[in-house]
This record gives sequence, structure tokens and C-alpha cells, in this order.
Amino acid sequence: MAKDNKSGKPEWYPLDNAGVLYSAIQKERYSAIYRFSAVMEERVDSAALQRAVNRTMPRFPSFGVRIKKGAFWYYCEPNSSPGPFIREDISNPCQPVRFREDGGWLVRFYYYERRISIEVFHAISDGGGALVFFKTLLAVYLRELGYAVPNECGILDVDQPPKKEEREDAYARYAGKRVLRAPLGEKAYPNTGTPEPFYSLNVTMGFLPLDILKEKAKSYGVSITEYLTAVLMKVLVEKQHRERPRRERPVALAIPINLRAWFPSKTLRNFILTVRPCIDPSLGSYTFEEILSQVHHYLRLNINRQQMQAMLTGNVRFTTNKILRLIPVALKDPVMSLSYHLAGVRPYTGTYTNPGAFLVPQAMGRHIRRMEVILGQATLPRVHCASISYGNEMEITFAGTLKETDTERDFFRFLVREGIPVKVESNRTACSELMF
Amino acid sequence: MSYCVNCGVELDDTARFCPLCHTPVVNPNQPVNDALPTPFPEERGEVPPAAKREAAILLSAMLASAAVCCGVLNLFLHPSRMWSLYVIGAAVMLWIWLVPPLLDRGMHLLLRLMLDVGAVALYVFFISLDLNGWTWYAGLALPIILWGGSLVLLLGLLLRVNRRSLLTTVTILLGSLGAFLVGVEFFIDHWIARAWEPTWSIIVLAICAGLMIPLLVVRRVPALREEARRRFHL
Repeated sequence: MAKDNKSGKPEWYPLDNAGVLYSAIQKERYSAIYRFSAVMEERVDSAALQRAVNRTMPRFPSFGVRIKKGAFWYYCEPNSSPGPFIREDISNPCQPVRFREDGGWLVRFYYYERRISIEVFHAISDGGGALVFFKTLLAVYLRELGYAVPNECGILDVDQPPKKEEREDAYARYAGKRVLRAPLGEKAYPNTGTPEPFYSLNVTMGFLPLDILKEKAKSYGVSITEYLTAVLMKVLVEKQHRERPRRERPVALAIPINLRAWFPSKTLRNFILTVRPCIDPSLGSYTFEEILSQVHHYLRLNINRQQMQAMLTGNVRFTTNKILRLIPVALKDPVMSLSYHLAGVRPYTGTYTNPGAFLVPQAMGRHIRRMEVILGQATLPRVHCASISYGNEMEITFAGTLKETDTERDFFRFLVREGIPVKVESNRTACSELMF
Repeated sequence: MSYCVNCGVELDDTARFCPLCHTPVVNPNQPVNDALPTPFPEERGEVPPAAKREAAILLSAMLASAAVCCGVLNLFLHPSRMWSLYVIGAAVMLWIWLVPPLLDRGMHLLLRLMLDVGAVALYVFFISLDLNGWTWYAGLALPIILWGGSLVLLLGLLLRVNRRSLLTTVTILLGSLGAFLVGVEFFIDHWIARAWEPTWSIIVLAICAGLMIPLLVVRRVPALREEARRRFHL
């Protein structure tokens, strides 16, 4: 994918279609950022962590890039700036990135007490790719501390050179001939609230025992992702109903699907698509079991190889269309921004992502207490939900730039009523005046 | 460990209130442990404003080249009349409007508004130079610009420095529009007849007041405000 480098200039490569979108909607006050954190058993050794970053970054060239604006498209080139350097953590994570500042780095490293965090700009990688990077970084960090950690469970060998297939544009590789364009979804219940002043990100995390959660989902005959999706939709339907709008709008969630499970690829760049389970309360009231059934069957019906291939083909055609290629990026950006709002924001109430279980070798597992994930700010003041499991603990995060806590409060209360114990932590330091 | 009495969730040992419902933690058996580190850092990170120097340089070059080209052309095309002042004045006005905010991202809003109003006054001054219109500029145009500018400064102070709700914003904007037009008629009357005989501006002011009163009522009565919010899904 990287261009031939005979002139001595850095090798550049075009962004994949998801990267193109996230770069186009990038603004001074908004970036598509997400964060993964590992809470270790011991306090973080910052010197060892910096050494681990320095050793790991060359193995992952797709993370050591900067994004530049060309005349017609954005593109990536290797970043030769000093760094990236680890920093002490902050209370308002997932801050917007700057393409031309901070060395142009699109991945950031933080530490606080026992927590190690990485933040990634979505244009360079999705959660699946970032988890491979983070897992390898944690392994190298533990080795720097003197522990023996084997290269298993997806940990890459940092002494090996990077592989070409890890930087491939998997969308382009699997693009077929048939194009399936999903119809523009109806405007969904927006679930917006009172925005916090720029820049604040309120994060609330809930910790649940995985075995009890799994047992509960099994009792309904669904997977954990389906169960948590249905719980979120149920509380959103009820929240909208409480607000007594003149007309109740559909409640729809964006659920990212990791395509690597259907299309074998070792890419560490973006390779996801989203599906849109939807409940329309204007048709009548839904019980929780009915919502569960809708979500379960919708996901089983719509997540299939053929349909997803046709959808990703449509996205790839967009970046390869010869007419669109000739439109300057300055004109393309506002059009893509508007398209994203119409097709990616307006028809959705929120996002829920579940990257799944974080599996590590046994020798590494005893040094990690728990894993956390944060989906950064949305383009509107609304909350996004993300979850990750590690060992026997499921971590669920609600993060957003709004003051109200209604969504997460109702969500965790629902789980408690279901008999699942929940422990809650948050970065909110002051009681909101909205509550009283 | 403490649990929230409302939500039933377990709370962190350092939590002083439930993050979900903000109920204070009161547990005599286990008081809040301030010795432990909080789950999240308390230090806030600031987001530096993105530098726009390149955009400022590009814009300055474009405006300067347009102004210089027209100035040089004026020497050969209709040199008896300074028509290029219109273009040069517009370029200067646009430069003052657009470039200083790009160079100084933290510029105070009131300073920016003052510069903007000054730029408008300068542009109209260039026009008056070409038309030999110092009299109407000083007697009519400048007072109207200064009156409008002072209202814009006031609006900037009321709306941007201190954030207002949507209803209050619309009410203030309507009131400002009425006041501005009363001022405009005052200056026109004073310029023409040296006496103020308000007519059309009073009608506009009355319409603005008529629109403001229901907005003020909705703003003051919580039940009506809630109803409006629900109707418009705000």
C-alpha cells in the first residue's frame, strides 16, 4: 500500500474510507477519539512505560503516522517528529487532536496511579487494531519491568519487522461487485442534553461480574452484546416517553461490527461497519423481552458476510469514484460533514460498541487488574456507550459532553433490578445543579 | 464499601456522592476515604486553540493582491476617479474582520467587535472620500454606524460573555432591532429636518415589543417554558 520511496521522501499512503470520513469531520472542537485503559496491579513506572512506547511504536507503523491534507484527499505519512511522549493523565480525556500540532501524533499515552491509557484517532485504526497495539505495548511494558511475557494471544513480536498486511486497506481488498446502500434512516430520538463548557467529557464507568451477566443473557437466550444493547434501548425508549414529546421518534443505536471475524485480515487499520437496530415506539409500547427479541433477530439477520461485503463495496466505491476524486478536499469536507450528519448522526440515538473479551497470556494476566474503554465525544451533546470484558469483569462506560446523567443512571439501575451487582466510578467531581 | 440508596450501585471508597443520581454518601460505618487516590485524575487538560497562521497568511495575500491590482489599474483606467477605493476599502474591511481573529485565537469578543465596527466605519469613509461626502459621513453615516456598533457591543456582552437561553436571546435581539431602528430614524430626522418626529420606527418598535411580551411571559412561567420545550423538542 505504501508508495514506492525512491526520492528519499517519506512513504505515504491514502486513508481507507473510514479514515477519509473521520478526517473530513475533524474540527477544532471535535475529533473521533477513543481510549483503552489497563489498570495494573502496581503503580505505573513512567520510565519503563516510555521505554515500552519507544520499542513498540516502530513495530506499528500505521500508528506512527501523521495525517496531511492533500489537494483532493487526506493522506498518511510516517511521522518523524520526536515522540510520542507519555503524559500524566487528565480528568477530561479524549481531547480533540490537531493535525499540525503536538508533533502531529494521532495516538497519545497517559498514566495515572495504576492506569495506563492510550487514545487513538479513529482515522488511523479501529478498536480491533488498537487493542492489538495496546496489548503488545502492555506486554513490552511488563517485560521492561522484568516479567517474562510470551508473544501469545495476539501480542506481536516487536523485534520482528512490521508486516505489509498489517497496513493493508482491508475494505479495498474485500470490495466486491455488488453494492448495497442502506436507505437513509429516519430521524431518531436524539437523546441530547445540556452541553458542558468546552472541553469537558463526563465519564461514568460501571463494573459488573461477567459470569452473572452471562448467566442473565443466557436466561433470555441472547448474547451479552444483544442483552446490553436491548437494555440500553429499553432505557432510551422509556426516557423519551417520560419527556412526553408530541411524537415519539425511533430509538436506534449504531453498533460497530469488527469485520475481521468475517473477512480474514491482519490489518491494524480500520475494518468495521455499523448496523442499526431500531425500535419505533410510535407503533406501540415494547416490553423488555420484545426489545430483546427485536435486537437479537435484527443482529442475526443483518450481520452476514454477503450483506456486509456489499455495504463495504459501496463505501469503497466512494473513495475510488473518478469524479469525486477530482473535487478538491476543501469542497469535499463540508459535503462529507453534512452527509455524516444526515446518515451517521441524525438517524441514531447513540452508539454502543463492545470490542469483546481482552485475552492475554496467563503470565501477563496477573499484572492487570482490569480493562476500560471510553468512546470519546459525539458531534452532539449525547452519551456514547462502550464495554470491554477482562477476566470475570465487564466494564461499561458512558461518556459524553452533556451534564445530565439520565441515560447511565437508568441503565445501571435496570441492571441492578435485574439482579446484577454494579460498581460505579466517575470523573464527575461536582454535583450538577440540574439534579436539584 | 458504600451503596447508593437510590440506585443500588456500589460506590468507590472516595466518592462523596453517587455519580448517577448525585445523592450524597452518608455511611457512618465507612466514611469517605480521602487518603485513597480518586479513580480518575483531578487535573484538567486544556485544549490549545488550533493555529490558523497559514490561513491568515493566505487570506492576507489574496486580499492584498486584489487591493494592489485594483489600485494599479486605477492609475490607467478612469484615473480621474478613485474607484479603486471601493475595492481597497472592502479588502481592508474584510482583512480586519477575518485575519486578526485567526492570528489571535484568544482575542476578546468585545475587542473583536470594536475592530469590526471600526472597519465598517473606515470602509464607508473611503466611499465618502470618492463622493466628496464628508458632510453626510460625519452627520449621518458615522452616527448610525456608531449607534449600531454600540448595540452590537452590548449584544456581544449580553449574549456571548454571559450565556443566555434561546428565549432570552430572541427577546434581546428583537429589542435591539427596535432600538436600532428608532436610532436610525432619529439620526435621519435630525440630518434632514433638525428635529425628531418618530413615525415608522415607532411602528417597528411596537411590533418588536408585541413579539417580546409573549416570549417574556413564556420565559418567566416555568410551566409554559416546559410546554414550549416539549413542543419544539428542545
